[in-house]
Amino acid sequence: MNAEESYEIRLKVNGRTQHVTAPARRLLSDALRGELGLTGTHVGCEHGVCGCCTVLVDGAPVRSCLTFAVAVQDKDIRTVEGLAAGDGELHPVQEAFKECHGLQCGFCTPGFLMTACALIEQNNDPTEQEITEAIAGNLCRCTGYQNIRAAVRRAAEITRSDKR
Amino acid sequence: MAVGTDSARVDAVDKVTGLALYPADAVPKDALHAVVVFTNQPHARLVSMDLSKTVASPGVVTVVTAADVPVNEYGLTLFDQPVFIGLDDTGRSSVPCDVSRWEADHLVVVVAESLSEARRASALIDTEWEPLPMASDVASAKADEILVHPGSSTNTYHTLQIRKGDAVLGMEAADVIIEGTYELPHQEHAYLQVEAATAWIDEQDRVTVETSGQWVHEDREQIAHALAVDEEEVRVRYAAIGGAFGGKEDMSLQIVMAVTARKLGALGINRSVHCGWSREESIVGHHKRHRATVTARLGATSEGFITAVEADVWLDAGAYNYTSNKVLGNLHLSVAGAYNVPNARIDSRAIYTHSVPGGAFRGFGGPQGAFVAESQMNKLASKLGMDPMELRQRNALTDLSDGITQSGLPEGVGVTRVIDACVERVPPSEELPEYPPFSPIASLPAKAEQLRQGRGYAVGMKNVGFSFGFPEACEADVVFHGDADEERPNRVELFHSAAEVGQGVHTALTQMVAYAVGLDFESVDGFFSDTSTGGDSGSASASRLTFMAGNSVLGAVEEAEKAWADGARPAAGHFRYKPPMTEALDPETGEGQPNFCYGYMAQAVDLTVDVGTGHIRVDRVVSVHDVGKAIHPQMLRGQIEGAIAQAHGYTLSEQLVVENGRIQNPRLSQYLIPGIGDVPARVDCVILEAADPLGPWGARGVSEMPYITYAPAVTAALYDAAGIWINKFPLTPSVVLEHLASAEI
Repeated sequence: MNAEESYEIRLKVNGRTQHVTAPARRLLSDALRGELGLTGTHVGCEHGVCGCCTVLVDGAPVRSCLTFAVAVQDKDIRTVEGLAAGDGELHPVQEAFKECHGLQCGFCTPGFLMTACALIEQNNDPTEQEITEAIAGNLCRCTGYQNIRAAVRRAAEITRSDKR
Repeated sequence: MAVGTDSARVDAVDKVTGLALYPADAVPKDALHAVVVFTNQPHARLVSMDLSKTVASPGVVTVVTAADVPVNEYGLTLFDQPVFIGLDDTGRSSVPCDVSRWEADHLVVVVAESLSEARRASALIDTEWEPLPMASDVASAKADEILVHPGSSTNTYHTLQIRKGDAVLGMEAADVIIEGTYELPHQEHAYLQVEAATAWIDEQDRVTVETSGQWVHEDREQIAHALAVDEEEVRVRYAAIGGAFGGKEDMSLQIVMAVTARKLGALGINRSVHCGWSREESIVGHHKRHRATVTARLGATSEGFITAVEADVWLDAGAYNYTSNKVLGNLHLSVAGAYNVPNARIDSRAIYTHSVPGGAFRGFGGPQGAFVAESQMNKLASKLGMDPMELRQRNALTDLSDGITQSGLPEGVGVTRVIDACVERVPPSEELPEYPPFSPIASLPAKAEQLRQGRGYAVGMKNVGFSFGFPEACEADVVFHGDADEERPNRVELFHSAAEVGQGVHTALTQMVAYAVGLDFESVDGFFSDTSTGGDSGSASASRLTFMAGNSVLGAVEEAEKAWADGARPAAGHFRYKPPMTEALDPETGEGQPNFCYGYMAQAVDLTVDVGTGHIRVDRVVSVHDVGKAIHPQMLRGQIEGAIAQAHGYTLSEQLVVENGRIQNPRLSQYLIPGIGDVPARVDCVILEAADPLGPWGARGVSEMPYITYAPAVTAALYDAAGIWINKFPLTPSVVLEHLASAEI
């Protein structure tokens, strides 16, 4: 086996298709950060525990550090850089995390934002239990989670009011 | 934007859009990649090292060793660690470098075109080691049969003592004596952003390191010392910092990357070099909260008045000092609690072992000391059948007290205030509310017959700022901009080195400047954490920045106001704030004034324990803090909630396994920090604002305070629930079950 043999991989990230030349075992997190320069996706533990590297693949939260880039070829990948609108208007989850101080050091934040985005796009009126379950797989070492919980609640509220 | 109101964080938009650049994010395209090779030897002599295969490996640019460090030594407060272990050095260091004393001592840095090439080449290093005998914990190091640093006759290298009144007579006068030996565990910082750095030679020929840390000027000083150059020839700046908590106070990549950049420069290679640690390298490669053993006695009258305290503290410093002497000082001061103690004998010792160094971690010695002091007080209350908060109120320090160091306390002692506020919110006489049942395994029903509820309290105090005579200071610069004919400036620039580790200091300083000048928040532009633009701020540690940096910016604004009034445009103001000088303690009696400011806290914890499985759920925490002034209440609550979550992990789940100097579980899948499902179900913050006479707008500090009292409040609540005292933690289910079994409950 030649681990270094490279392939051309088509990645559709934030609505734009890009080609990455990388070995078959290139992790999605590394491809996003290294090849595509999308460093908003952070790597915290390298083995699927902390959730910092969470991105959306066809709308579902996925650990990009446990995903090979080739495995998500042609799927819709969304990263934190794709949340805000083209004119810079923040996505409701971004607005809410900012407003509710749902972050301190900010390193875990992109992962929480993507996880919360997936929740709220499916269910814009989650219960407390649903919020807890949705973000139970993401670790934050700074906030104690109370403001994160408040931010997810607030993001749902903003989304509901936007729809009206 | 007034102080005392909530603004958006200055870094919020960058952090929610992914634009904030952490040290691993802004790597230049043409950067070289470096790997730091650890010795992987907790105690062994390097016999030989052959780097020829490494150097010849594809893509390798250079290899950096001890021979490349002009002064091969490191240490924040005393030089006792070589930057690199090696066989040839320049001879200019006082620290021998042929013996590895820690598995994460650095051996070489391998620099290559790519990370994979650097890694492959690192695996080709051929070393021969002579294993040496180990003294890997306090018990084995105490005998001094194996010396960790052979230059000295003892491993017990730093001692402190307090002799106040007569402890023997005090104990004789006691109606009740509480005795206990407490085992305090290590804790891993587990900041989510692991260490990374990029280094290069800048356009002014300065060795430049961009990384994340807690004090750019200290990093610069350490680098300059190792390189034997003037500090002006070194530049350190911080990228966004993904958490620190004390774990980034000591050097990780700073010195080795500076040495590497300089070597590349000398080889005529004008390229940046980047290194990022893996999570495993991070956990193995940086210091921990100290483990410690404390034996304590507390004597009191039957009315609950303390007659004497005795304590013997053994702090496991690990292989190198790091900040162990500072941590020991804090533990030493806090082991008697926030109480009037007429007679005391306290002996505290830091001891070298062949194990991971202990160092700074939020509270640094305070949580360890308070666990002892408050466990003793809770046991005393229980033995006397007294309300635990009434007991504390009877003994509480006040402005009139002489304190454990016989020197009086800085004005504004808040112990009684926080006790009163805590009791008002959570009266000890009140019945516990009935919390919903819980099952340790969510998919299984709760077994109500196995659930017991309990409540516990703890009270404490923690210094703000550097102690024991350290020359504490903080600098700030501001520049007012505006037209000559304008009465007031329309824009202000702030230059400050305070490290934004997540706590929000950049936002708070921006807010303070805006308010002091009378501008809106957006009219203040902050330039932070770069030794080439800002003065020395001191560290983001000891809960000191709101107090110290706040005073520094106030002073700088005042200076700029004078210049502005004199017609200067732009009008610059520089200020170096110095608080009242503190003192080192008398070596015999421990007398002296160690601190200039304290924060005060009281906590009540309600929990439910499943006595069938040993699982604990914390139902509610009420955390009372005298903060002087809440500059930004929302960020302040964030500090309290965040500190409690970390303290919760420390108390209940985080178990670092170290065997013979080697960390056995350096992964977040094995070392369990709390998730949202683990943290207390509810945290109520109670903020008191009794102004500190010297604080900016009266502010003290808060970021460590909630940590101090949490563990003893939890163990007291566990006693209330299940009738067992546990003198160690984390309170994992197996530890709880073991104690329940031996108590036959």
